Amino acid sequence: MPELGRKGFGLLSILGVLLLWELVCRAGLVNLSLLPSPSQIAPALWKILASGSFLVPLGQTLGMLLIGYTIACVAGVALGLLMGCSEYLYGLLEPLVEVIRPIPKPALIPAMVVFLGIGAGMKITMVALAALFPVLINTLQGVRGVDPVLLATARTLGCSRFETIRKIILPASLPMILTGMRVSLSMGLVLVILAEMLAAESGIGFLILDLQRSFQVRPMYAWIAILAAVGLVLNILFEMVEDRAVPWRAK
Amino acid sequence: MSIAASLTSGELTVKSPVRRKLFGDLARTRLSGAILIALLLLLWEVSAARGWIVSDNWPRFSAVLVAAYRGLLSGELAEILGSTLYRMLAGYAAGCILGVLFGLVLGSNRVLDWIIRPLIEIQRTLPSPAIIPPLILFLGVDDTLKIFIIMLAVFPPVFVNTYGGVRGLDETLLLTAKTFGLSRFDTLRKIVLPATLPAMTAGMRIALSLALIMAVIGEMISGASGVGNYLMSMQYAMRADSMYAAVICLAASGYILNRVFLRLERAALHWHHSMQAE
Repeated sequence: MPELGRKGFGLLSILGVLLLWELVCRAGLVNLSLLPSPSQIAPALWKILASGSFLVPLGQTLGMLLIGYTIACVAGVALGLLMGCSEYLYGLLEPLVEVIRPIPKPALIPAMVVFLGIGAGMKITMVALAALFPVLINTLQGVRGVDPVLLATARTLGCSRFETIRKIILPASLPMILTGMRVSLSMGLVLVILAEMLAAESGIGFLILDLQRSFQVRPMYAWIAILAAVGLVLNILFEMVEDRAVPWRAK
Repeated sequence: MSIAASLTSGELTVKSPVRRKLFGDLARTRLSGAILIALLLLLWEVSAARGWIVSDNWPRFSAVLVAAYRGLLSGELAEILGSTLYRMLAGYAAGCILGVLFGLVLGSNRVLDWIIRPLIEIQRTLPSPAIIPPLILFLGVDDTLKIFIIMLAVFPPVFVNTYGGVRGLDETLLLTAKTFGLSRFDTLRKIVLPATLPAMTAGMRIALSLALIMAVIGEMISGASGVGNYLMSMQYAMRADSMYAAVICLAASGYILNRVFLRLERAALHWHHSMQAE
């Protein structure tokens, strides 16, 4: 019940802000050509939604994001497990990870554009690159944090190395892995939008910047609202997956 | 560290034959990793020098280093980097202060928490580059815009961690404070702040790398100044060596900032770590 009350309160406060925004606009306190009121943005949003013209850019953006994100998750978990379980690989790869990790990934977009152009390859690479490190680092920490007693038990029971990884290490480090994946998801979304803004001719990021530059302010806000909804939905979906995957973890 | 060692050491004694011991010792240290990096850089140098990859965009690694050295020495790159770092730190400081303030207030006041937190959650879900175009309309493309968006990116992790720290506060501590008749301000200063400091600094550490990322993003989208803008214009000007030099300088600054932060954090929290170690 308090949960319901909290959500109700949240909805009310969002509605309250929208109302305040509307009133501020109606009272003429802001320049309407820079900040239109919600009632002016709503028709623009409706036009985009009803005509179905949101489907293509949305699909493009989400497609790039999901492909790059999947690559990053698979590679990050695999590398993290390998580095966590083998001291040889840890010694070999850890310095390289430490060198590449502090590079702010957006700074690599110009270099990627030079090599891969402004197509899908560049965007997928950028998303994968940005999303890789949080997953990798968290997996590594998760594996290293596995209770030694568990590992000793597995050895006593004669588990093979593969079995130990699959039945002990992976489940025990899953909460950490998922934390990394959550950070990666928002990082990936940031990178795909940025890549579309800087070097693309399609996608939501491109549209938002393009509409701003051509001063079509209302559709620009409508697209930002759509993007916020995308972020929200992705977040909720991730939480659902997390609840399913690690039900034992306390919230 | 010891856990990973215990994970493999048992198997190593079983598996590795004596003749491989020397190689094994070498491979297990980070030395092998350093050699790998050196080899990769050598490959870069040779592939460019020998023309295995013929492209204006694939300069020698040594040329990149020379470009970085010249840029820093002549002051061109140093000045650009400095302006980026200045804005980054200004936005970072503002975001940290706001994050801590909101975290403390919303963590201890139920009603404000219910009213304000949904709005913060919504702001968090919007990918930060998307806020830049509308903000350009209001703030222009100058320092104000760039500092503001860095602040927006820094705020959430600091807020979330501070908030979590306050909510996770040991009830006994607060009751004890009340028993001793501590004023609200004293409770905050002597109990709440020290107890939530580890959580706060954890959030600030995450925010530090975000701040650098946002500084670059803001400069790339709005142009006008800074390393982000420099990168874009070097790309258009086909001066690949300067472009890579700027990336390297950025990464180095990020690394150094992180190191400095860790040093400060350890100094500020030495009592906490020593408590945990016991």
